[in-house]
Amino acid sequence: MKEPSPKAHFVRLAGVLGVAFVVFLTLKAILVPSSWDYDNWYRGDALELNASYELAYGGNDSCVACHQDTMDEFSQAKHQQLSCESCHGALADHVKDGVKIADAHMDDESRWQCLNCHEARVNKPKDFPQFDKITINEHKELDDEMLCIACHSPHDPTP
Amino acid sequence: MPEIETHDTKNLIIKERSTEPDSRREFLQHLLAGTATATVLMVFGPGVNARSKYTNPADGPEHQYAYVIDINKCIGCGNCVRACKRENSVPEDYFRTWVERYVVNADGVYVDSPKGALEGFEKLNKRFRENIKISRTVPKMCNHCHNPPCIQVCPVGATFKAPEGFVLVDEDYCMGCGYCVQACPYAARFINPVEHKSDKCTWCYHRVQKGLLPACVTVCPQKARLFGDLNDAESEVSKIFEADQWMVLKPEMHTDPTCFYIGMPREVV
Amino acid sequence: MEQLGLPGDTLVNYIFPNNAHVTWSIMIVIYPYITGLVAGAFVLSSMYHVFGVKEFKPIANFALVAAFSFGMFAAVPLLFHLGQPQRFYQIYMTPHTTSAMSIFGYVYSSYLVLLMIEIWVIYRKVFIEKANEATGRMRNFWWVLCLGITTYNPESAKFDKQFAKFLAGIGIPWACLLHGYVGFVFGSVKAVAWWATPLQPFIFLSSAIVSGVAMMFMMYSFIMWRRGRGYDYVMVKKFIITLWMAFILDYALEVLEITFVSYEQGAHWAVIKPLLLGPLYESYVLGQMGFLSLGPILVLGIASLLDIKDKALLYLGNLGSLMLVLQVLVMRFNVVVGGQLISKSERGFVDYEFEFFAKEGLLTATTIFIMPFVTYYIISRFIPIFEGKSIDTEPKRLH
Repeated sequence: MKEPSPKAHFVRLAGVLGVAFVVFLTLKAILVPSSWDYDNWYRGDALELNASYELAYGGNDSCVACHQDTMDEFSQAKHQQLSCESCHGALADHVKDGVKIADAHMDDESRWQCLNCHEARVNKPKDFPQFDKITINEHKELDDEMLCIACHSPHDPTP
Repeated sequence: MPEIETHDTKNLIIKERSTEPDSRREFLQHLLAGTATATVLMVFGPGVNARSKYTNPADGPEHQYAYVIDINKCIGCGNCVRACKRENSVPEDYFRTWVERYVVNADGVYVDSPKGALEGFEKLNKRFRENIKISRTVPKMCNHCHNPPCIQVCPVGATFKAPEGFVLVDEDYCMGCGYCVQACPYAARFINPVEHKSDKCTWCYHRVQKGLLPACVTVCPQKARLFGDLNDAESEVSKIFEADQWMVLKPEMHTDPTCFYIGMPREVV
Repeated sequence: MEQLGLPGDTLVNYIFPNNAHVTWSIMIVIYPYITGLVAGAFVLSSMYHVFGVKEFKPIANFALVAAFSFGMFAAVPLLFHLGQPQRFYQIYMTPHTTSAMSIFGYVYSSYLVLLMIEIWVIYRKVFIEKANEATGRMRNFWWVLCLGITTYNPESAKFDKQFAKFLAGIGIPWACLLHGYVGFVFGSVKAVAWWATPLQPFIFLSSAIVSGVAMMFMMYSFIMWRRGRGYDYVMVKKFIITLWMAFILDYALEVLEITFVSYEQGAHWAVIKPLLLGPLYESYVLGQMGFLSLGPILVLGIASLLDIKDKALLYLGNLGSLMLVLQVLVMRFNVVVGGQLISKSERGFVDYEFEFFAKEGLLTATTIFIMPFVTYYIISRFIPIFEGKSIDTEPKRLH
């Protein structure tokens, strides 16, 4: 048998590395997402993915479809700048595929619902209507469980 | 536009000089017009330029969104935090948006954000209620920076600046290394403990693409949160931007946030 | 106020809600640690292969094989850390070149390939011998490892020697790049006050060399002890002096960094000072910069400068090495976890608790850390790592 060249192993090593490199390039060609944006370096399909998430809140326009009357009334009310879902919760919890799945009343803790915004706090803007414990205590003929909305309309609250 | 006018005026001036002295009156008129243009540039120049940093060229995307938070209006009710949690299924103990309460008194600064203000704020501890100088609630979220460090450090391109100004995460591509979480100076990012991927505010990209406002903006009872298009000179955010009374968080980080704050006390970090 | 040790004007410990969890924990502590051992071991091996430091000849191949054994597991902690480890390949497919982390995949794997080729070149003679001796399946294994070349002659030996020297030569900057680069990954994050310093790559690199040399010293002592064939005390002395000097350089950089930040009295110091005097007091002030640094400087200094011989030299060397191996481990912890203890609110510190059984817990970390030693043991069953039967049965007298 002929004696191989003293560098034969080196040539073969280079061959192995060359093959590995070709395999790498092939993998790269296959595995880089086809929608890749080389200028901004991201997967183009990611935009679609990010746009595809389901909506929970529909905005006031989605309420009008069924609640035109209430909306007309509400547009004159004191709380008119609030969105319906601020107090009533997300549309997705109320309607699914055009069918009502649950009531959208305020939660049972609606006294908290009122106080969360209107209880006096030092951090709230001075011109924001807030009531401290003393004001609320003027209602002391009422028991603690009594809801604010029993007397005050939540849409158009007047003192 | 005004620059071209100035240029034209100059040309006219040169022309006038070379023609009959009769047209001195006309020359003066042009001169005055030129001065007027220059004055307009001086008054509106910086604002226009500042906005042009963010607005898109004519052939670019149609919109360039920005977010404005008016601290003077925020009451700290936490509606935004709850809506964000619901809209984006944000896991417990992590927040895409949260609200902080700042109380500055004679001794120093007190800050808290119980559960990110998911349930609003309890009455402040009596200990900190003495001698209050300033107290405000400050909503926080991803600043959708113009020069975002999180995108810079993402090793694979799984987070990116989308057209129209959104900084988004590609959930199907993120490996969850967490480098972006380290790089964000605002702690707006986290590794989602359920999905094990990077998670952050998207300005409700899915809503905006359908013509809706982000959920937090929708439910804010005080209009303390505004979202709009800087490309549209008439939008609320453009007007606020040009009035130049806004501030951004951690400007020393040079991230160029496009989430602008109005009335932010200097104690806010 | 009664709340002491908080940054600036804050009255309570306030951390941003998303900062409550430390994102990079023990896995990211041992990843730069193992990478550092690779770089350190390789540099030691190159002392002989490239710079011709004769004293280190007996351990040149040992350090190389050890570097490879550690190298095999340097990236494993990262896989355990990733939220989506099955997507790791993306770092090779779409490396985002603006990211300091993105070319890690390339730097690391090319370095591992370089190590493999160098070991292959150095041990080719052994592989050929084995291929010619063995029968059956083992013969096939060795034959493939020889790439089918089963003859060895003086010309190819000469060629291999030059090739090995060339590989070791480019291996040094490559090892430095690998580890300096790990430091850059941390040092370039402006949002983390405790990481952001341009000195970080140099600190990581010098501490890597220290930990690698110290680890080699302990492994060498252990292996020689198990073999019971005596120690090469000339080399032991050289080893100790090298380690001592490397650590003085490393410690100087670490001291420089902290001195600079504190003297500067800048924005960073406002949060770093309470961090170091608070949550990191034990591990940084007492551990990393105190006992675990001054101890080795003293112990190795005595061993280097005084006329200490034989077993006493060996014991001092091992004591110093043990402290240094711990010093670097603690330093990695102080950097990686310490940096994240400062909430980005700049008004509070995060509480960190060790986990044991979690995916990224201490059990996983310990297991990963044992693997390189197991790998080394397995490799050593197949190829001779320390040349000759006995290096120096009779302890040499020094001086």
